[in-house]
Parts: sequence; structure tokens; C-alpha cells
Amino acid sequence: MNKMPVYNLYMGCSVPANYPNYEAAMTKVAQAFGMDLVYMEGVACCGSPNLRAIDYFGWLVVNARTLAIAEKDGHDIVTPCNGCFGSLKDVLHHLKHDKEDMNRVNKELKASGLQLKGTIKVRHFVEALYSDIGISEIKKKVTKPLDGVGIAIHYGCHLLRPQDVTEFSPETLRELVEATGASVIDYPLWKQCCGATVLPVNEELAIRLARDKLKSMKEAGAVFATVVCPACGNQLDLQQLGLKDTYGEVYDIPVLLYPQILALAMGIDQEEVGLSMNRVAADPILEHLTG
Amino acid sequence: MSPLQTFNMGTEFRCPVQPYSRSNYGGVFFMAETEEKTGPPVTLIDPIDMSQLDPKFREEISSMPNGEELSACFACSTCTAACPIANQWNFKPHQLIRMILLGMRTEVLSSKEIWECLTCFECQERCPQKVRVTDIFFDCKNLAAEEGNVPENILVLAKSLIETGQLYEVMNDWEREDLNLEPEVPGLSTEEVKSILKGTRTGRLVGGDE
Amino acid sequence: MASPVLIIGAGVAGMTAAVELADNGIKTILIDRQSTIGGNALDLYKAFPTDDCFYCFQGNSWRPGIRKCFYRSAMIDQPNIELMVDTTVKEVSGSPGKFVVNLDVGPNYVDAKKCTMCGLCLELSDAFRLLSPQCQPQAVVFDPNNADDGTKKAAEDCPTKAINLDASPSEKTINVSDIVVATGYHEMQPIAIDEYGYGRIPNVITQLELAKILDPNGATSGALVRPSDGAQVKNLMMIQCVGSRDENYYPFCSKICCVFALKHANIITNERDGAKVSVVYMDIRTYDRHERYYREARESGVEFIRGRIHRVQEQEDSTLDVIVYDSLLDNYLRYNIDLLVLSSALEPPDGAEALMKALGLKSASGYIAPLDSVSENEVIAAEHVYACGTALGPAEVPESVNQARAVVSKILQSRK
Repeated sequence: MNKMPVYNLYMGCSVPANYPNYEAAMTKVAQAFGMDLVYMEGVACCGSPNLRAIDYFGWLVVNARTLAIAEKDGHDIVTPCNGCFGSLKDVLHHLKHDKEDMNRVNKELKASGLQLKGTIKVRHFVEALYSDIGISEIKKKVTKPLDGVGIAIHYGCHLLRPQDVTEFSPETLRELVEATGASVIDYPLWKQCCGATVLPVNEELAIRLARDKLKSMKEAGAVFATVVCPACGNQLDLQQLGLKDTYGEVYDIPVLLYPQILALAMGIDQEEVGLSMNRVAADPILEHLTG
Repeated sequence: MSPLQTFNMGTEFRCPVQPYSRSNYGGVFFMAETEEKTGPPVTLIDPIDMSQLDPKFREEISSMPNGEELSACFACSTCTAACPIANQWNFKPHQLIRMILLGMRTEVLSSKEIWECLTCFECQERCPQKVRVTDIFFDCKNLAAEEGNVPENILVLAKSLIETGQLYEVMNDWEREDLNLEPEVPGLSTEEVKSILKGTRTGRLVGGDE
Repeated sequence: MASPVLIIGAGVAGMTAAVELADNGIKTILIDRQSTIGGNALDLYKAFPTDDCFYCFQGNSWRPGIRKCFYRSAMIDQPNIELMVDTTVKEVSGSPGKFVVNLDVGPNYVDAKKCTMCGLCLELSDAFRLLSPQCQPQAVVFDPNNADDGTKKAAEDCPTKAINLDASPSEKTINVSDIVVATGYHEMQPIAIDEYGYGRIPNVITQLELAKILDPNGATSGALVRPSDGAQVKNLMMIQCVGSRDENYYPFCSKICCVFALKHANIITNERDGAKVSVVYMDIRTYDRHERYYREARESGVEFIRGRIHRVQEQEDSTLDVIVYDSLLDNYLRYNIDLLVLSSALEPPDGAEALMKALGLKSASGYIAPLDSVSENEVIAAEHVYACGTALGPAEVPESVNQARAVVSKILQSRK
């Protein structure tokens, strides 16, 4: 039997604070597959694209530090948040291609006894699940598959683009969702941004983008939606409630974090994945579990 | 008849006059009251004065992270076509790139557009010349920040990073406990992030506010 | 007795070279991997710049060899040409001037010398096809993948016993003094550029696919109908530079697609009444004397939009809902169209890389580069190896013909 794969778990700040249900579902799923997610020591926020916008160098150092810490034991970094994934991947990509900045950053890190070589790998949790565990192993543990109910996937921009940095292919998440027994609903705006990044600067615009996504999903016949990022979750889930006031529109599309869906399909109890914490009531998904 | 005739107005002053044509209102000419050398006639066209622009701006951006391909832009407008929100903007993405190339530093750095960029990378992904449009807008935001021009709400986020080392702090730790998670995130250590950012531009932006 | 010349590819350039060498007393072996020769140009209706039907090239009207006329063709008339279809190069060895080439020859299901194109087998089975009464070789073509219940009877009933269903592939080794590479180009299938929906949406096609629809000899007899349901096309949109001038696919300009796109736009507007054409472009490159296609298009009412596509969405009624950004108007426009035509990049053909490697040829973006780029002898690819036509890169027909003639000139000079 293979050794349990060990990962440096980088949580970022948003999931622990706003989506503990995501964290719980992810850790339960990881446990079931023997993935050893080890919380990284000595790290905090990645800053998100907003830090990159105002302080490029600060953003480089903060994230290089996280990367350097992980390099000490060399285990792949795994993160559940697109924002953190994007930041870490972007910083790593930049520093690997810019010797000067790598030196400048390492100069800053020296004081804490850290140095970045650029050998570490950064992965999103769902990609690690797909590549290291594999669909067939996952299917084996899906004892209560969904009944083919239509789920729309919102991948999130920082997971998919820029392709040369993220190296993530959408089929990965698509197959993972199908493995739970759901059918994936194709909708025209599947690639479009949810608007999370622009929320602080222009709330109206962000709300409009969330609405466009939900509308497109609904028109295509989606019953549920799934995301793999707390910011996207916030836009599609929490903002959905506000749409009734702004546009007088009710979408009624429960938004679940992917590990929640997988966990439920694996027979894990809804309380263990914090289903009641999803803002748009998500318990209707339970009616679609079979077996 | 020569294209340019000078008329002796009875003073020492001479000014060039163009022959009648539709485009010059039948030879309207202006007299100046001084001996000052005049430029071309002032008309309803109010052009951008190129001498007021910053010819170094394009080099400045080109030398910033991922700005190398800036001048490869051939204004095809694919970035604007790809953008989900450009319809809301006065300056579209391809126009902003053009403005950078022409040297309109002030207009670009003071625009609301760069801050409304969703950072969704769709423009960058589709650009046929591999101009890293989104990355270039990040560079513009950094330059604007260097001059202290940052939207209010972003400054609030910056403050949060300086003061707490995070954008979000765990408030509802009982929710975590209900889920059998540690109330405090294991391994969380905010001191280092705070001290790093205090020493970089974030610190200066937030510090200047106090 | 000098060895023959091998010409790989029987398209415009290959055939021109073959005929002119043969007319000058040089034996040529002309091979093509397809069952019918003519290459890309075969069924594309009108050729620019003369707007002659592709079956007859103005460039060679003095010599009926290239004209795939029903009755006369150099492929039949000229004994110095040995035509081998369904044939590919397996291996090249030997030395320049003394090449030894192993050929893979496909099964000879239909004997071209016996087939009278009576059409009986075509009626009995879908496995037999006749591309055109003017095709060369003058015979039907059999595709074993489409064999059905009628195939056996068709073979048995053939009045001249031209069909041999048991034919098998063979090999042939030839000794040649020179090799001429005239392998042409391929039109990219832009499936990867997913914003257009090619490959996913049936009413999104490429320019060459459109040309085949417009060909009066084609499946719809030239009627402009949409692939999804055969309904008449009333509105169509063309997109230029799909995959060309794009660092993500092919950085070069494919040169002739602005010209043939507008050629098609003019055919549609002037010959197929009622269809409205819009052309979405970054630049219109109807170079040289081809500017007239652009002028004619403007005068005919073809609409030009300088911009790019935002989104293409298939509707339930098979029409396409298209949003395009107009960079001159600085606004987004919405169209409902029947057909979207992509001017897709012209890329090197399948197998070109392997062949170029086997012959030690230099590459320019995947096409064949001249041996000495400074000398301007663009048809000399290596010692005793020549290249002409679109194997060198996208080119118009007169260019391909001129290059083929340059090759002929070089070979003749080398044999003086």
C-alpha cells in the first residue's frame, strides 16, 4: 500500500474565517482518501490580487515566504482558495523567471532564515484530489451518488488563467463533479468572472456580474452551483440573497463548495460539512442523494 | 497662385494665409496683437498636445513585471472584445494600452478603469500578441499607488493587512468548533506578514493615513 | 539514361512541375497521398485572380495538362509522367542526385484504366464516390471504411471489372535524381480557439468549407445552406485572422485568406441573392492587384467591422447569437446570423515535419525554408531537393505556378 501523501496545507485567511464549512468538508474528504493535509506553520494571508495591485514587492515577499517555508520539507503546497492559488502560483512563476526579483526577495527573507529556491509545487486541493487519488478511487467511495441532478460549475478566473501560470485544465473539476453522480450543466458564461476582485471598488458592478452568472446558470437548467473558492462563493452564494432587493430576482440556486458535494456523496453527514452554513439553503441537495 | 500668401496688413505684421477651401472657412486668419510667433491656427479640433505627454511612460511600463510585450500591441481590440465589463468604461482596454504607448501617464494612472479591472485575465489569455494586459494594469495600479492614489476601500484592505496580517480574521470561532476544527487556525502567524508589509509600500500607504 | 524526378504532391505546383518537366523530355514520377489529385484547390469553385473555376487554371490554359478537362489531360496524354495516387514516401536514402526512395502504395481498388465512370457502383453503394466528372485519375474512388451491403454487388456488376475489393497495399522502390516537394498546406481546424465554437457548433465553418459549399459541383450544387439543417443562409459573418497573426497559434499572416474571404463574400452577395455578409477584421490585406476584391465587396454592400468577437452562442433554432466589439465605433454590436465562417490559419500539412526531417530540410514556421535564405533561390531546399507551391508557405496560384517553373528551370539547367 502506498504511503499517505503529505501536503503543506495553506489555508489563506478567507476560508477559515468565512467558510469553515469548506475547510471541514475538505479535511473530511482528505482524511477519507488518506491525504495528509498538514497545516503550514508561520503563515498568514496571501494578500489577494488587491495586495498585488498596490504593493507588488510586498506581495512577492509575503508569498515567497510561504513558498520558502514549504520548501523546507518539500511537500507540495495545497490550497482550497483560488485567490491564494493564483497568488502563490503567480509569485512562483514570476520569481522563477526573474532572477533580479528573486535575489531581492531572498535578501528580505534572509533575516527570518528563509531562502526560496523555486522548487516547490503549488496545487489547488481539487487538482491534488484528481491527480493523486484519481477518479476511479473516488468513485469507489461514492456510496450515495447523486441522481444526475444538474450542477453548474463556476471555476473561477484565478484557477483557469493565465493558463501558462495556473496549468489547470477545466476537465479536472468537471470529472470530479461527475464522479459524485451529478451531471454537469454547460452554460454560456462558464468562463466569466464572478466579480469578487472588484467588489471593494465598485459594488454595483460586482453584484451585476454575480447576477449575470446566476442568470446564465439558471437559464441553462442548473439546480445547484459549485465553486472552489471562498471569494467566488461569497459572490454567488451570499450576494444571491441581495439580488432580491437589488433586482427583485430570486434564483434559488444553492451554492456548494465542491468538497461538500463529494463528502455528502461519500455518505458523510451533512452536519460534518456544515451544510447549514451555506447562505442559500443547501439542504435540497440531500434529496438528490441515492443509495 | 502659391499655396501660402502673405498679406501686408498695413502694420509690420505678416501672417500666413491659406487659399480658400472648405476646411479653412474661406481664408479666415487671425491677427495677433504682438510680434509673437503664432502657431498653426486654433480651430475646433482640440488635439492632445504630444509635447505634454510622457514619452518615457511606455518604457516605464515595459520595464515593470510582465510589461515586455507592451509595444507588440497592434490594436486589434481583441482584449476589449474579450472583456466582460469594458462596456462600462470610457477607456477600453485596448485604448488604455494605446494611451500608455502614446505617453498619457496622468490620464491612465488617474483613471477609475484600472481599478475596476476584474483581474480575470481573459484579455491577456486571448491577446494574439501575448501582451500581458492584466499584468500591465497591475503595474499601472502600482504606479498609481506609489503616488498615493488608491481607492478608499482598497486602502481599508491595506490597513487590515498592516494591523492584523490578514484580510479576514476568524470572528465566529464557535462555528469552527461545531465542525471539529481548531478555533484558531493551526500554524497561523501574522507577525511576519505585518512586519514585511510595514516595510514596503503598504506600510507607507497606510502610515501616511494616520 | 538519367533517373527520373520524384514529385511529392499532385496539387497545382506539383502538376505544373510534372507537366513541364515531362514536356521537356524528363521522366517524372508524380505521387499523391490522396486518391484524386488536385490538392487543396480541387473543389473550391473560383480561383483568384482570374475567377476561373479551379478545374481550369488560366495560368496553364495554353497547355491542357493542368486543365482537368474531361477529355484531355497531361496525366493521361504525357507518357513521361507516371502518376501514382494513394502513395506516400516511406523512406529516403542514397545521396543527392542518387536518391533511393521507398514508397508505400495504397491498395488499387479501382483500376483507373478500366473505369468508365458509368456510375453503376455509385448507385449500388455509398462506399464509391466520384468527386467530379473532371477528376484525375478518371475513376471512382473506393473507401473501405464506408463499405456496406451494396459493395460486393457493385464490384461484381462492374461492366469493365475495374473493381478489386481484395486489393492490398504494396511497396515500391524507385531511384530518382531529384526530389520536388510540393506537399501544399492545410487549413487549420480551429477547435482550440473555443470562443468561436468551431467543432462544437455545426454552423461554424472555415473558409475552405464554405468554398466547397459554394462549388456548383459540390454536395448542395452551390446552394448556400447551413450545415445544421440545410436551411437557406440569409445572414453570415466572416472572421479574419483566426489562428493567424496569433502568437498562441501561428504568428505569421496567412496571406491569401483576406483575398479569398472577400472573393467568397462577392460570390455570395452577387450570385446568391438575399444573403447579407459581414466581415469582422483586424486589417484587410488584399495586397497588390487584389485590392479590387475589397472594392467590389464594399460596392456590393458587404459590411466591414473592424473588431473582434466577444461571444458566439448557438440558439435553439440553430441561428447564432453573436456579440462583436466594433473598435471604430467603440461599441458592442449584437447580430443574429445563420452561418459563421472563420478565415482560419493556413498551416503546414500533416506529415510535413517528418518529410522535412527525412530530407534534412530547413523550416520556416513549419513550412519549407530555402537552403540559402540570402541567395533568393527560394525553390532550392537542399542539394537536388526542390520545393514549390504552398509547401513554401501560403501563396496564390500564379505564384505556385511560377515557383514550379523555377524548379523546372533549375532541374533542366542541372542536367545540361
